[in-house]
Amino acid sequence: MSDAIADLYRDQHRRVLAAVLSLVGDFELAEDAVQEAFLAATAQWPSAGVPANPVAWLVSTARFTAIDAIRRRQTQRALEPELAARIAAIQAANGAVSAREIADDQLRLILTCCHPALDQQVQVALTLREVCGLTTEAIAAAFMVAPAALAQRIVRGKAKIRDAGIAFAIPGPEDLPVRIDAILAVCYLVFNEGYAASSGELHLRPDLCLEAIRLCRLLAELHPDAETAGLLALMLFHDARRATRTDAAGDLVLLADQDRRRWDQARIAEARAWLARAMAAEPVGSYTIQAAIVGLHASAPTAAATDWAGIVAWYDALLLAAPSPIVALNRAVAIAERDGPAVALPLLEALAPDLQARHLYHATRGDLLRRCGRRDESIAAYAQALDLAGQEPERRFLARRLRELRDAGS
Amino acid sequence: MDYMLLAYSPEGAWTREEWLACTAASGRICDELRSQGRFHAAAPLHPVATAASVRVRAGRTLVTAGPFAETTEQLGGFFLIAVPGLDDAIAIAARLPSAGKGTVEIRPVQALAGLPDFRCASPPADGAVRYMLLCYDDETYWTSVGATALQAAQAEAAALTRRLAQCGQFVAASPLHGVASATSVRVRQGRRIVTDGPFAETREFLGGYHLVDVRDLNEAIAIAAQHPGARQGTVEVRRVVDLSALSGPAA
Repeated sequence: MSDAIADLYRDQHRRVLAAVLSLVGDFELAEDAVQEAFLAATAQWPSAGVPANPVAWLVSTARFTAIDAIRRRQTQRALEPELAARIAAIQAANGAVSAREIADDQLRLILTCCHPALDQQVQVALTLREVCGLTTEAIAAAFMVAPAALAQRIVRGKAKIRDAGIAFAIPGPEDLPVRIDAILAVCYLVFNEGYAASSGELHLRPDLCLEAIRLCRLLAELHPDAETAGLLALMLFHDARRATRTDAAGDLVLLADQDRRRWDQARIAEARAWLARAMAAEPVGSYTIQAAIVGLHASAPTAAATDWAGIVAWYDALLLAAPSPIVALNRAVAIAERDGPAVALPLLEALAPDLQARHLYHATRGDLLRRCGRRDESIAAYAQALDLAGQEPERRFLARRLRELRDAGS
Repeated sequence: MDYMLLAYSPEGAWTREEWLACTAASGRICDELRSQGRFHAAAPLHPVATAASVRVRAGRTLVTAGPFAETTEQLGGFFLIAVPGLDDAIAIAARLPSAGKGTVEIRPVQALAGLPDFRCASPPADGAVRYMLLCYDDETYWTSVGATALQAAQAEAAALTRRLAQCGQFVAASPLHGVASATSVRVRQGRRIVTDGPFAETREFLGGYHLVDVRDLNEAIAIAAQHPGARQGTVEVRRVVDLSALSGPAA
């Protein structure tokens, strides 16, 4: 019995919390009430038996616990009409919650945690804590911040939701796309933090990648939308290559040098299915375009067999949908593959005003110069890249390239 | 919930015509909110050059000309509204012309017991002028002295409002929730940009406001000097633009 409740806690705790939160509108109150409901289940179910719909039982029990807690607060202080109104609202809500309603409550919770009035760092921390159920310690470790600082971020977020009156609500159709975009941005930020840490030694933190994929999958279930499917496809394509991106020493392995036989074909197949759904939308969004690009890489049996013309075409589309200097840089790299490095070099160098502070620009330029046979300039560019790079495996990669170039000349 | 929407923009960025058009457009939004029962008060403020800043230190009242802090964007007007939640406040803020030129900062109003009834709807009596007292203080001061000291200061401010109400000078007043609950709204190229936090990072933040009807600036300054906030921070005195006196096509 206690195993059954433990399983239920693990699998359904966040859903129960979402349902109770949207009823009571207060994190602290809802969290306490849900804990008490699970305690009540542990006490009652072994003798009384498991109810027919355990989630509904838990939500309903937590609801009454929350009402009691509000009443206790009310007798402590002067009568507050707001609290009385809240009790009435909770009582009016039908206790028998359907699966559909709980799904909506989960979406409400994600929307609230990713509300644009919250700082994005706070959005990330709240989402991982409240939606994904990660512990504060785990999130702090993943983002390499002190647990106390991360806990403070969560406290600040909850205080803002309460004080500023951020409603646990699904916005109208005119505002929903922007709000979904904010959730996708949080998903992608979490994924990228796991996929390529911005500094330090740890290159891959697969837990964060898996958490981002899980969150995006949940969102795709709750609110099927093309860009959600597109982002899910993008992350799955990337994740399929995870095992081959670094070697045994933790050093970076370039896409062209990765062992394609070790790519996770099941992941790639799943990514393709999501990509097909995302492509049905008109116009195709930027996550979907990125997924299409990564999908072409994933389809190539060898690096030489890559459909570079197709990739350049998708980068053209991406430049229209979401113009950025980094997209233009990646397009130049694809053009180098299609038409040769000499054609791509001036395209890349035109981006210098925007990108010369980024190591990626200098590393890319160093590579194109090397392939054009301009060794001295290539060495200078790689040296600049090494000066700017912060992440250890990347620094080792650049240092190795520099050594190879210098050795080749001597 | 009640929200204070503070419209910040560079004063120099408005021509007289633009300012009148902004005032007219804001007025139409206010009319709409009034008809929905979501409106308390709104008005443009006279330029910061006309402001006076009041501090009380060691029992002495110090009055300086100008706003409490020099910023590139100035508080040009306010909207005090009653809406269900932050999303509604954001939607209204994004419609204000000021959001396109500057920033609208949304501050949730804190409920405080013991305040007189607001009389925002009635215009100043003959011979009276409406002023806004903006109470800026260092929030870290209040967290360092503890909740009891803050409650005492709020009770003192509430007592001041009751004295003002007795002589017909009180219009409205409220403390605002801490600046951590602030949200800023801008509209650029037709896109709504919502960010966490106040429009500008300063050491002292707006912690509350009073609207008063008084004879002149001196009387407004005298009230500001009685406010407990003047002993820790600064009370900025700004005259409210009397929209009924506006001339021109927009009036």
